Amino acid sequence: MQNEQALKIGTDILHRQGRMLDEQRWDDWLGLFTEACEYWVPAWTSETRLTQDPDSEVSLIYYDLRSRLADRVWRVGSGQSVANDPMPRTCHFVSNIDVDECSDSRIKLFACFRVDYHVNKQSFAFFGHYHYQLVPADEGKNWLIDKKKVIIMNDYIPTMMDFYLV
Amino acid sequence: MNSPIAEPVNWQPETLDKLLVDNVSGGQFEVSRDIYRDPELFELELKHVFESSWVFLAHETQIPEPHDYLNIHIGRQPVIVMRDQAGDLRAFLNTCPHKGALVCQNESGNKKFHVCPYHGWTFDSAGNNILVKDEAQGHYGQNFHNRGHGLEQVARLESYRGFLFGSLNADVEPLRDYLDGIHVFLDMIVDQSAEGAEVIPGRSYYTFDANWKMQLENCVDAYHLTSTHPSFMTITASRAAGGSEFRNIDIAEFVSADTAAGNYTFRNGHNAIWIDGPPEVKPLYAQYDELCERVGKVKADLMMKTVNFTVFPNLQFSVNACIQMRVMKPLQVNKTEMRSFCVGPKGEAKAQRQQRIHQFEDFFNPTGLATPDDSRVYESVQNGLGARSAATAGQGHDRGISNVIDGPDEYARQLQINPVTSSSGTSELQDETVFHASYRELIRRMRDGVEKESSHAK
Repeated sequence: MQNEQALKIGTDILHRQGRMLDEQRWDDWLGLFTEACEYWVPAWTSETRLTQDPDSEVSLIYYDLRSRLADRVWRVGSGQSVANDPMPRTCHFVSNIDVDECSDSRIKLFACFRVDYHVNKQSFAFFGHYHYQLVPADEGKNWLIDKKKVIIMNDYIPTMMDFYLV
Repeated sequence: MNSPIAEPVNWQPETLDKLLVDNVSGGQFEVSRDIYRDPELFELELKHVFESSWVFLAHETQIPEPHDYLNIHIGRQPVIVMRDQAGDLRAFLNTCPHKGALVCQNESGNKKFHVCPYHGWTFDSAGNNILVKDEAQGHYGQNFHNRGHGLEQVARLESYRGFLFGSLNADVEPLRDYLDGIHVFLDMIVDQSAEGAEVIPGRSYYTFDANWKMQLENCVDAYHLTSTHPSFMTITASRAAGGSEFRNIDIAEFVSADTAAGNYTFRNGHNAIWIDGPPEVKPLYAQYDELCERVGKVKADLMMKTVNFTVFPNLQFSVNACIQMRVMKPLQVNKTEMRSFCVGPKGEAKAQRQQRIHQFEDFFNPTGLATPDDSRVYESVQNGLGARSAATAGQGHDRGISNVIDGPDEYARQLQINPVTSSSGTSELQDETVFHASYRELIRRMRDGVEKESSHAK
């Protein structure tokens, strides 16, 4: 696996992910993840330190199964959650994508993100860093997200945060 | 019948009294909606509630080592809580006596000395001034030399079993007396381990655009659970049906003719609600036998219930599958900052700690499956209260009014507490009289504060 090829695979999947979330194609979005995926948004413990261990420290979000993400996806569309009514309108921006490691069995990526969103006549944004691990599926025809780690820089949260806002 | 006044100006003791119609025996308890939306009342609250008596500052495990510090606020006033060289706890106003800059800029950390970034005045972790830069060359007058140059201490600082409280007013009753019977509920958290409780690292800070009393009420409001959190109920039910090992509290249990529930109010605005529930989802359940032996069956059984409580005015706990500690900080009449922490028993086994943490994230985080619904509802209420043509008092403090009794009920006697009021029955009651004590205290303090000021002015 060449760096350029890994960058192309990574860029493609990150761009697709942002678009799926912006277009609220939740099931397509879930389909980007492996069943045993880790989805982790660590919390800050001070201005400078992030939580390191999701099992002994409190994260903002931590799941180690796609079915947990599916719970959240269901909730958003359920009509049973006032926090998602009205749904914020979102724009996902991804840039500075960098390949940290690549082989035929694994790609590790770094990227910067910004998600602008608008709800109840106010505009907000979350921004930060992504760390991804991708693995091949369908005999190498596709790549899936096996690990997604989101480092939120602006963690003074206005009212709420959910998976479609990062 | 009386009704709370509509739009008073220049709050006086007489007009403050009219914010509340308190006639429980006559079936009426009405709070003026102005207390959620009037900026002048908000100023009075900060001054006479938050800045004139005990408020929660921090838990001792947040600053375990000598020279550890934490920056917080009492009301609007910046405060640094820290341990000195000997490890003793201290609290100071975080403002340089010279020009007023913050002497400590960071949220938390460990520092032997705090150097003011403006003119370099330096303070040790006991708050003493150890350097006035170039003092000898300064041609100061006698007045300057006569004044102390250290950090100003918060007038009172006391710990109740690790929970640190401070008061900017020295003239307050001892903390243990102030807590009244709510201390039993703090004990219930501390005694879950023989080693005590700790704040687990990883906090969340968030804001909502609504008055702080939306949160004050909601923590002990059993009535909203099934209507604000149906999505969470469905998820927990589906996990239970699917035999998922990842269980959490089942809100459906909270409203049932078969589930016992009750609540208490105490002096000084504190309150607590309890609801029976299946103990198996609790990480603590594994220790049940040991707990019975160490603290007795009555207290061990309390630890197995869902218990939410308020230490008035700014500290709340939700104890269900896990323990949430939240601290409220009013920013504006319609904006509040929340700090949310996961608390656990020290020395807990790894698997139980892991379960506790993930249950906490699931329900309580502003990034979780329940708190965002609460916070959005608070904002909805705040916006709805823009309807000034509607009745000046809401109808939100009436459930249970013909059930509540003065003094302790049978369960309170078992717990050896002496509440001001008790209300008990099944969890279908979803009582609202539990809020009464906080409003009585809030309005009493504003009234007494304003009265004292006007008598001084005369």
